[in-house]
Amino acid sequence: MEEKRYLTFALTKGRLADKTLALLEKVGITCEEMKDKSSRKLIFVNEELKLKFFLAKGPDVPTYVEYGAADIGVTGKDILLEEGRRVYEVLDLGFGKCRMCVCGPKEARELLKHHEMIRVASKYPVIAKDYFYDKKHQTVDIIKLNGSVELGPIVGLSDVIVDIVETGGTLKENGLEVLEEICPISARMIVNPVSMQMESERIRKILKSLREITEGEGKEKGL
Amino acid sequence: MGKSLLHTPEGVRDIYGAEFAAKQKIEERLAHVIHLYGYRDIQTPTFEFFDVFGNDIGTTPSRELYKFFDKEGNTLVLRPDFTPSMARCAAKYFMEEKLPIRFSYSGNTFTNTGNLQGKLKEVTQLGAELMMDDSVEADAEMISMVIDALKNCGLKEFQVSIGQVEYFKGVCSQAGIDKDTEQKLREFISSKNYFGAKELLEEKQVRRDYAKVLLNMADMLTDAGGLAEAKKMVNNERSLMAVERLEKLYQVLCTYGVEKYVSFDLGMLSKYNYYTGVIFKAYTYGVGDAVVKGGRYDHLPGYFGKEAAAIGFVAVVDDLMEALNRQHLKPELKEEGVLIVYEKEAFAKALVQAKELRSQGISAELIARIPEKSREDYERQAQTNRQKKVVWIERQGQ
Repeated sequence: MEEKRYLTFALTKGRLADKTLALLEKVGITCEEMKDKSSRKLIFVNEELKLKFFLAKGPDVPTYVEYGAADIGVTGKDILLEEGRRVYEVLDLGFGKCRMCVCGPKEARELLKHHEMIRVASKYPVIAKDYFYDKKHQTVDIIKLNGSVELGPIVGLSDVIVDIVETGGTLKENGLEVLEEICPISARMIVNPVSMQMESERIRKILKSLREITEGEGKEKGL
Repeated sequence: MGKSLLHTPEGVRDIYGAEFAAKQKIEERLAHVIHLYGYRDIQTPTFEFFDVFGNDIGTTPSRELYKFFDKEGNTLVLRPDFTPSMARCAAKYFMEEKLPIRFSYSGNTFTNTGNLQGKLKEVTQLGAELMMDDSVEADAEMISMVIDALKNCGLKEFQVSIGQVEYFKGVCSQAGIDKDTEQKLREFISSKNYFGAKELLEEKQVRRDYAKVLLNMADMLTDAGGLAEAKKMVNNERSLMAVERLEKLYQVLCTYGVEKYVSFDLGMLSKYNYYTGVIFKAYTYGVGDAVVKGGRYDHLPGYFGKEAAAIGFVAVVDDLMEALNRQHLKPELKEEGVLIVYEKEAFAKALVQAKELRSQGISAELIARIPEKSREDYERQAQTNRQKKVVWIERQGQ
């Protein structure tokens, strides 16, 4: 028989990777090498199943998958919206749930009502632009920040921010609140279009069993 | 100043030396197969009126077209692809023609895509169009030609995936899905976004049995055996005819003997309403997207005033090269010609030899020898330029 090609997974570093691995384990895909936290390896291999895994920064995951450097990836919907890469978005994994929101001080609510020019700070300039231009038809000045976006309105850099909100704790502590919700976010599995065709059987088998599990869990929670 | 002019703008590049030779070779090999099928080359202008590539016709959004004006103020566009030009030509020169026309072309195309996506803005496309033949044999000819051409380039592992837009459209119209929803659904299904499609169908309260068929489509990559199943799932004529067409197509492809390269994907829907029937894409390892795309576009020639069936394909030569490189299947380049290195006083003698070689059809490059350079330097030079050998012409009397 022909030598099987490795299927490569690109996972988002951190909590998302742990949850993904736990989920994959349920369908019989394991990677013992990865459990060793002290390891400094960059690529982890499961020889038996011919699988490779590596960890990357969230925004880079769709890039690896688009170019076919990884066949399958797991990352947040926020990143997929922001990066707009040509990949197949095949599965909502149901964890990593949060919301993409417009946030700011109470008083800023008024600013969102009159198509007035406002300043928006965000780590997600594309999402912010699409939302304000296409959905709200409001002209905005978008300022790209790389972290602690909540500072924007506090120090007077911007009127509002566009960011992901999980519990809203950080916002509250800083006197900000959710003004408008843009869309819900969760972890997604993505697949390279070429891999989907060339390795169709193996990938679809994985997807099918994952879909059964995620849909099953959804039902248990009464969704 | 000098150094800052060396860079090319983002998205365009120089191709030279061995790489260019390889590219030419690949183009030759593709074109060779196309010519073997009886297609004739045609050349169209690099830029045309905006309307030729405009919204109703082209597949490239207006903001990705390179536009400029002529002296009269007409908007002109650098061609983003060839197909509309081919349809225009068919209408212009073959208006009364009733027999099938076979065109082939190659040239550079231009799209003003976003920066930093790692995509070239100028690529070489090579393709063929068959007009005024709406038969299943025409579909099969196109697909088997693609397979032969890719094989001739040296590609071993590749897959041609075939879809039929009408299958999807049939179910949508039966389920009474409105245009906007259909467009959204099209995007979800063609990007295999199963749960996105599911949510949309639930939101629009599409009848369960139709929703099930549509959802299945997102997941339907199959060999020929799966077509029977796809047929069982639908009961509207449009979809049934679509599957039957694919079944017939498969039979003809079997007659061609290329069935092992073929699979079916009923969820393959182009984002644009341009394609009207069979569509196909060829995939291989090493590049993130299809290396060949094609399909039937029976409405397009109508825009130019000639009602005619048409099917075509295009190969992106640059992507194909990338795939061949990654798979270590670069075409082998033959060593050809001679490098003649002569000492200054012996020019006349060298020229006699060069002329003799050239008259025999052998390339001969003349270089005057510089004393500081060693023989090895020249031999290395000949090697880089893939010349067969170096001939030394020395001063008379030595």
